[in-house]
Amino acid sequence: MIAGVSYTQCYWDDVEPGEALPRVDDEITYRRVIMNPATTWDYFPGHHDPEYARSQGQPTIYVNTMHVLGFVDRFATDWAGPRSFIAKRKVALQRSIFAGDTMVGEGRVLDKRTDAAGDGGRVRHLVDLEITVKNQHGDLCCPAAVTLELPSRSRKVAG
Amino acid sequence: MSLREVDDSSGYELAVGTYEQARAMVGTRAEVVFATHDVDWALVRYFCAMVRDGNAGYWDEDFARAQWGGVISPPALLMTWVMAPEWQPGGGPPRTLLTAGVPLPGTTVISTGCEAEFFRPIHVGDRLNVEEELVDVSELKHTRLGDGHFVTTVATYRLGDGRPVARYTHVLFRYTPTGDTGDTGDSGDTG
Repeated sequence: MIAGVSYTQCYWDDVEPGEALPRVDDEITYRRVIMNPATTWDYFPGHHDPEYARSQGQPTIYVNTMHVLGFVDRFATDWAGPRSFIAKRKVALQRSIFAGDTMVGEGRVLDKRTDAAGDGGRVRHLVDLEITVKNQHGDLCCPAAVTLELPSRSRKVAG
Repeated sequence: MSLREVDDSSGYELAVGTYEQARAMVGTRAEVVFATHDVDWALVRYFCAMVRDGNAGYWDEDFARAQWGGVISPPALLMTWVMAPEWQPGGGPPRTLLTAGVPLPGTTVISTGCEAEFFRPIHVGDRLNVEEELVDVSELKHTRLGDGHFVTTVATYRLGDGRPVARYTHVLFRYTPTGDTGDTGDSGDTG
């Protein structure tokens, strides 16, 4: 066990459709945007060169796709717990998150269901989440849909 | 080396051409690209530190072994695991993305959406490969950032033994900026 790391887990049986997920506010400094290239090897200049970003019609450098995806995934699994598997995730990148902005994650449970479409036809216990990433002005930047496979009280998620 | 005209200001050697030339490429499958290195725990932790993701599957070896059979990668790092270094001794430049090779007039690109389906966890020590297909090029669209075309690719990521780990659909907007910088107002979406 690592101190400060959460091992708390949601079980499929206990999830209620309509349930709200805890809001997450995350301040995006220039330093963190510059960490995008360092930690994803994505050297597209819109994520490290403000002059290039301005030539694209953007006010300054902005968070890359993988950082947005990482934030959405973190938002989902911070709520669900580390025994969950991200089965599906769809994100529309409608507006960029710029250096100096705050990413605000909000979401709720849309549905819970089972299917047998997993590897080898095993039954999966799934929850569908509706997630929004907004900026500090309340503009919708990245609406997302995430399907998590959760453990049930009788069955863990396969590794 | 390609003799095609390219715009290199983005560092991505964007092929320059017409919409008709781009449409003619729809259905093209790129050759499978094999990662030059394994999924790496150091980078997993640096990425998670940036995102501030404390998921025990990425940080705690004992937990991850019991739950997943080993430390796993955040799914968001999928694309990184097949990226090649910009320079290799004795080697040429790495192959560019399939999207970059689609000939269009736009001078730059921005991601506008993606959809991923994951079939199994990606473990530290795995070595992935990817096969990309160009599935769509939209007609000319007007957006807040400028006029351009939406280019859609579908990539299938696999383990060395051929088992698929993910299918990833990515939409990139290839456009020419309108020039009014800083407009992040309410006049519509990027895409």
